[in-house]
Amino acid sequence: MAEVGRVSIRLPSSIKQGDVIRVRTLVIHPMEIVQRDKANKIIPKNYLFIHTMTVAYNGKEVMRTELTQAVSQNPSFTFPLKVDKPGKLTVSFSDTGGKVYQGQSDVHFS
Amino acid sequence: MRGSIVSRVQSVAYSSVLNRRNFLRALVTVLGGAGLLKELLIPGNIKAQVGALGMPQPDELIDATLKRLFGNRVLQRGDDKLKVELPQIAEDGGSVAVAIDSSLPVSGAVQVSHIYIISDKNRRPMLAKFSFTPESGRASVATSVRLATSTDVRVVAEMSDGTLYAVSKHVRVTISGCDLPPQG
Repeated sequence: MAEVGRVSIRLPSSIKQGDVIRVRTLVIHPMEIVQRDKANKIIPKNYLFIHTMTVAYNGKEVMRTELTQAVSQNPSFTFPLKVDKPGKLTVSFSDTGGKVYQGQSDVHFS
Repeated sequence: MRGSIVSRVQSVAYSSVLNRRNFLRALVTVLGGAGLLKELLIPGNIKAQVGALGMPQPDELIDATLKRLFGNRVLQRGDDKLKVELPQIAEDGGSVAVAIDSSLPVSGAVQVSHIYIISDKNRRPMLAKFSFTPESGRASVATSVRLATSTDVRVVAEMSDGTLYAVSKHVRVTISGCDLPPQG
């Protein structure tokens, strides 16, 4: 998975002021699940998965999500956003490897 | 029992024979009494305490999860307030689409603060937690989760005043999507 951490964001084609839009986002990530040894005991190690997703609009956090290993690989999310003025949407994913993957998109009215 | 521990520590301290052996003995007594010794002696737990977020958490049963998340609060039926879309039969438990939409407000005096996705039979039942703000505009979210086996999936909306609304749906899973606890 060469592109681990690629974040894509899709916005509706037409956005008007005051709309509550549906934003779709996808991140390429393995979301590693726990493994067990032959005795059915969980192998203790630092598993690599995204634990937090945050959504910020114009620098202000508007949504926070706590994720676990029970979220699918290459997870996608659809979430609402109320847009009163145009601005920059930032979606950040933090994984247990200490990395933060970010995607940005500009919201215009049309 | 706690009183005896305290008095033992005090007696050690007061008798002014606070040499290394007595000190360690007192420490062990106190830590053992507090149930901390066991945790400190297990290497796995030490790593978890250091803050390695990816360390596996212990298996948990659904009742324990509900207790941990919501205490003794009652889950009210929220079928008229929450709309949850889940497949009745999921061929691949590794990716089960969940769509949640709600007419509950996200701004005002009483608003939705969190929405939880909880699977009764996963090793760790709490799958995901979404926190909303007034800028969200609507309490709605969609994602895909892993289900270990055929199970009830609960979606719980927690309001800012502590009220809980829950919707439960059964999903039949053909191929397990993740780790199963040893006893199913």
